[in-house]
Amino acid sequence: MFNKNEKDLYRIKELESTNLATDDIRETVIKTKKEVERDNNILANFIHQCFQNSKIKSFDIVGAIGAGKTALLEKIVEILSPKFKILVVCGDITTRVDANRIEQHNAETIQINTGRECALNAYHIHQIIKNKDLDNYDIVFIENVGNLICPSEFVLGTDKRIIVVSITEGEWVVEKHPMLFKMSDIAIINKIDLKERLGTNVKKMIADAKKINPEIEVITTSAKTGENIDKLMKLIGF
Amino acid sequence: MKEELNKIEEIIGNPNEIKISNIQELMKTFFVKLKNRVDIYIGDYPTFIEPVYLEDNVKIGDDVLLGPNIYVGANSEISDYVEISNTIIFDNVKIGENFKLENCIVAKNSSFNFKNLNMKNSVLIGFANLKNELQIIGF
Repeated sequence: MFNKNEKDLYRIKELESTNLATDDIRETVIKTKKEVERDNNILANFIHQCFQNSKIKSFDIVGAIGAGKTALLEKIVEILSPKFKILVVCGDITTRVDANRIEQHNAETIQINTGRECALNAYHIHQIIKNKDLDNYDIVFIENVGNLICPSEFVLGTDKRIIVVSITEGEWVVEKHPMLFKMSDIAIINKIDLKERLGTNVKKMIADAKKINPEIEVITTSAKTGENIDKLMKLIGF
Repeated sequence: MKEELNKIEEIIGNPNEIKISNIQELMKTFFVKLKNRVDIYIGDYPTFIEPVYLEDNVKIGDDVLLGPNIYVGANSEISDYVEISNTIIFDNVKIGENFKLENCIVAKNSSFNFKNLNMKNSVLIGFANLKNELQIIGF
């Protein structure tokens, strides 16, 4: 049978905040949070090693709902699928809408429905790769659950993390979400075809990204018109 | 898919004569053919890593992770905090709270009315209120 502390421990997954813990379990909550983070990092390192052993290039794509992650992936996969064997893991709360779209471009897809969880974690990815012969793939793309907050909590073990924002989210979207920009290698500012109509200050978005993370590569794209997709392909090494 | 399922059900229907190698091979073939069907179930939003195939009237508790490679038979119930991968659960089964099953088969009409079980590579059979009342056949 569960005692009170054990029951409270399970609640932590949902609370995810030390502030909400009562004084008698605060220490346990902190310890558990640290252990969860450590275990995720251990698994992510293992995943990265597995990808490297099979000479797989891997990317974790994060961004808000509607930023254009799937549309960009469709473009990328369409270009790469004639030459490379691609696995795309799609994270969503529910449905396999994104996986179905990407599958149209000749990539194998696996949908993860996270239910209540707002990000993929290394455990999800490990569950997939331990059932796969990774030597059958050249590239793995992981499209994370759509939001700009939770994915910063969990690294997935990919070579690079790509963050996608769009100019329809407003010119403050970058400075409002510094953590994911700090943790990303490439920032894509998408829907650039709407720049004139919306009047969004794209220069500010680029400057904000560089200010938060001077190492980050920033590129503007339009998945709709194909603008700068060729430059994006070079940026990701193809 | 159903062909392998029927064969596995037939094999575990006679627990004393289970041929382990047959089961492993059948499971492997079954999971390759397994499709995704998660649009109809009773319960909250669990985590699914496809392929997960749920027959009709499956009940799923809170904080459940199913997948990859899961088949759950009709009228079966998965309790809270359960995590299952590479496993076949036949009809009318009840899985207890905080069970973690990997590469298992649960025989039809089994009911596990206790909490906390971590099991791999086994056939589980029976109506059990305690772990030691379970019939466990390792493979």
